[in-house]
Amino acid sequence: MPMGHTATEQAGSGGLTATEHRLANGLRVVLSEDHLTPVAAVCLWYDVGSRHEVKGRTGLAHLFEHLMFQGSAQVTGNGHFELVQGAGGSLNGTTSFERTNYFETMPAHQLELALWLEADRMGSLLTALDEESLENQRDVVKNERRQRYDNVPYGTAFEKLTAMAYPEGHPYHHTPIGSMADLDAASLEDARAFFRTYYAPNNAVLSVVGDIDPEQTLAWVEKYFGSIPGHEGKQPPRDGSLPDVIGKELREVVEEDVPSRALMAAYRLPQDGTREADAADLALTVLGGGESSRLYNRLVRRDRTAVAAGFGLLRLAGAPSLGWLDVKTSGGVEVPEIESAVDEELARFAAEGPSPEEMERAQAQLEREWLDRLATAAGRADELCRYAVLFGDPQLALTAVRRVLDITPQEVQEVAAARLRPDNRAVLVYEPTEPTAAEDNDEEADQ
Amino acid sequence: MSDAVSNAMTFHPQPAGGEPKPWAFPAPERAQLPNGLTVLHSHRPGQQVVAVEIDIVAPLEAEPAGLDGVATIMARALSEGTDKHDAEEFAAELERCGATLDSHADHPGVRVSLEVPASRLDKALGLLADALRAPAFPDGEVERLVRNRLDEIPHELANPARRAAMALSKELFPADSRMSRPRQGTEETVTRIDAAAVRAFYEAHVRPATATAVIVGDFTGVDLDAALAETLGAWTGSPAEPVKASPITADDTGRVVIVDRPGAVQTQLLIGRIGADRHDRVWPAQVLGTYCLGGTLTSRLDRVLREEKGYTYGVRAFGQVLRSSADGDGAAMLAISGSVDTASTGPALEDLWKVLRTLAAEGLTDAERDVAVQNLVGVAPLKYETAAAVAGTLADQVEQQLPDDYQAQLYVRLARTGTVEATAAAVNAFPVDRLVTVLVGDAAEIEEPVKALGIGEVTVVKG
Repeated sequence: MPMGHTATEQAGSGGLTATEHRLANGLRVVLSEDHLTPVAAVCLWYDVGSRHEVKGRTGLAHLFEHLMFQGSAQVTGNGHFELVQGAGGSLNGTTSFERTNYFETMPAHQLELALWLEADRMGSLLTALDEESLENQRDVVKNERRQRYDNVPYGTAFEKLTAMAYPEGHPYHHTPIGSMADLDAASLEDARAFFRTYYAPNNAVLSVVGDIDPEQTLAWVEKYFGSIPGHEGKQPPRDGSLPDVIGKELREVVEEDVPSRALMAAYRLPQDGTREADAADLALTVLGGGESSRLYNRLVRRDRTAVAAGFGLLRLAGAPSLGWLDVKTSGGVEVPEIESAVDEELARFAAEGPSPEEMERAQAQLEREWLDRLATAAGRADELCRYAVLFGDPQLALTAVRRVLDITPQEVQEVAAARLRPDNRAVLVYEPTEPTAAEDNDEEADQ
Repeated sequence: MSDAVSNAMTFHPQPAGGEPKPWAFPAPERAQLPNGLTVLHSHRPGQQVVAVEIDIVAPLEAEPAGLDGVATIMARALSEGTDKHDAEEFAAELERCGATLDSHADHPGVRVSLEVPASRLDKALGLLADALRAPAFPDGEVERLVRNRLDEIPHELANPARRAAMALSKELFPADSRMSRPRQGTEETVTRIDAAAVRAFYEAHVRPATATAVIVGDFTGVDLDAALAETLGAWTGSPAEPVKASPITADDTGRVVIVDRPGAVQTQLLIGRIGADRHDRVWPAQVLGTYCLGGTLTSRLDRVLREEKGYTYGVRAFGQVLRSSADGDGAAMLAISGSVDTASTGPALEDLWKVLRTLAAEGLTDAERDVAVQNLVGVAPLKYETAAAVAGTLADQVEQQLPDDYQAQLYVRLARTGTVEATAAAVNAFPVDRLVTVLVGDAAEIEEPVKALGIGEVTVVKG
């Protein structure tokens, strides 16, 4: 059975297999066959993200991703969306620091359509790209920014944290959404140049996963993508390497109309693709994942000083990863009280390391998260592309769980001691400008 | 314009699809345990993360007067300690299984959702059964949950979408209806909740005889009957007592409420009323018509508001069941939601109403209907790849007193629904003069332009 793995004994590849191919134009292709359900997922990663953007043009990679849905030589207007949805498929695209991905999940018998569509825009986007599309999608993206970040309490916290953790001029200093001013400044020529530079078959990985005939699939890929010329115009991203630790605590206090005080912090952590990154993932899970973590037990259950407390990990391959602490205070609790409790817990963890029970729980949680990601054809396709683009080997996706389960408590303690230190963090404190929740009882009564 | 890259590429005509492969929404097996618990299960090969959903008939309407939120606190308190583990131990044991356990209370009842790798299903089912069978409801934990809930309320009020939803419910439903008030209670009501109130609600409503367990996943190597007998089978309780729900009424007189947010860079829109639910014959046509109106970015609303005008990142129309029951007294919330930049609020609403008027005047096209059917029916195998998706739909069907083959039949009915029926359903669902509009935004900027539209009386409330 293609996915006949159990969660414990055989955790790892889970019986999944993938084959790798390369077209003459440099397009890398990864296929993974699984006939359990009549679905085929197509995923295309372009090796370009916000880290490739230059000063004054932040947000361009993401704006460009929107333009990829505005038509190409044989696809008019919103045809990409219309054709996929009309075939019973679902689709989207996303942009991160390190890559831009496009994906379609199709009923298995409509796979060829998705390949035709992706090839058409890879080879001919510029024949359809015009000023009208750019102006329209510029407005859409600015509204996306307002909706997801600017009009939401704490919505720009992540942007502020990354700006501190990665210094001015660093490729990860700004987030993929970009600034309003830079979005306004992007021109049609910028978009064209971006496409000519980064959208080439030899700068992409295509994965096709699910109920497929590999031979037929490869023939279709060759037919539709094979004649798209590769080119070597790509500019490498600026160097993302940084010292392992920031060297001193950075701090910003924001006074805004937010519902409660908050303590957030970003820690520089090991780059993805290393054992240390997996160890860091386990450390953050023990400390701040789920409802049995050290910080949750301390702040939410025992001290009752926080309404929510947790850690998240942003794995990055081209720069230090980012550990993100997020604590929202309870009632009138002040930030220093939270901060000293957090420091105490982190220092204690660095000194004693995880208990065997904590390791077991953290590994079980990360294992389930992996099983969730691999539960859909689209999830598997995305992971295969991720390992192919960022680490040069899609097969690593199939053994990722095993690597997490292989980490020792010692390694978890070591990474915590080395990285989860006050001199390796950027702290963001929110102080509400309005009276805090505890004193503002009338609002709810107005409902 | 021409481009060297595209000129070099060989173009091929758009391919036609192959023959569709058969797929059907899974038909679950239904059984009843000796304790009265109804069990639906479905084996889904390859789905290593098993999903378990428990439907408990404990509607919000059954909360005692003045104790709105007690169902929510009870649902949360189920996992805060049992007769075997205290709260911290219970959370640790669950996570040791790699499991997640979520519970929440809504109008039809309380839903508890477990997800766990199949290899640890037995153990996690045991913990779930403990939570349902013998919750400890310790005073200190309930008190903590109450305080935690009170802390959450200002965060919800600050969220434009949540704030809009609360304001719409308050406008639509009569003040004495539970539906008019926040599902998880207000500061005033939550403050009154204690462990005794939680236990009383539990004693009155949580019992296997009125509950249903839905279990979906790859059961290869799992003895499900034995696992159930030892876990959920050990849950005992009094026999079923029928709960009679009160009728749902709503005032959908066209009007506008602005929830004032000085300085907001966007206006959150929520435009709604109530209408047919899933027991109504019109439901498939309403699903189809609503999709054509605002199901995706190529639907009528986004075609104009997003892809032509750029006013928004996206506006959606949807029908969400509030409560649905076999005796036909249910209802669904029919709504249009999204956010637009502050300066575009008036023009966006004007265009939105124009889209609705054009729909009423000219109807849907056959092409629109065809694409919508192909999408709604065609995506089923994708939508139901995971165990959690299948379990969620099966549990909804049970909660809404629908037959187990409802979803399978819905696809058949959608495919048979014509353009005329879909048009009529959409127009009836969103009549231009019977829509309550909530705008969370900067009143100083948007009040006058909105008044000028003539879509109903405009009132402004404090944000």
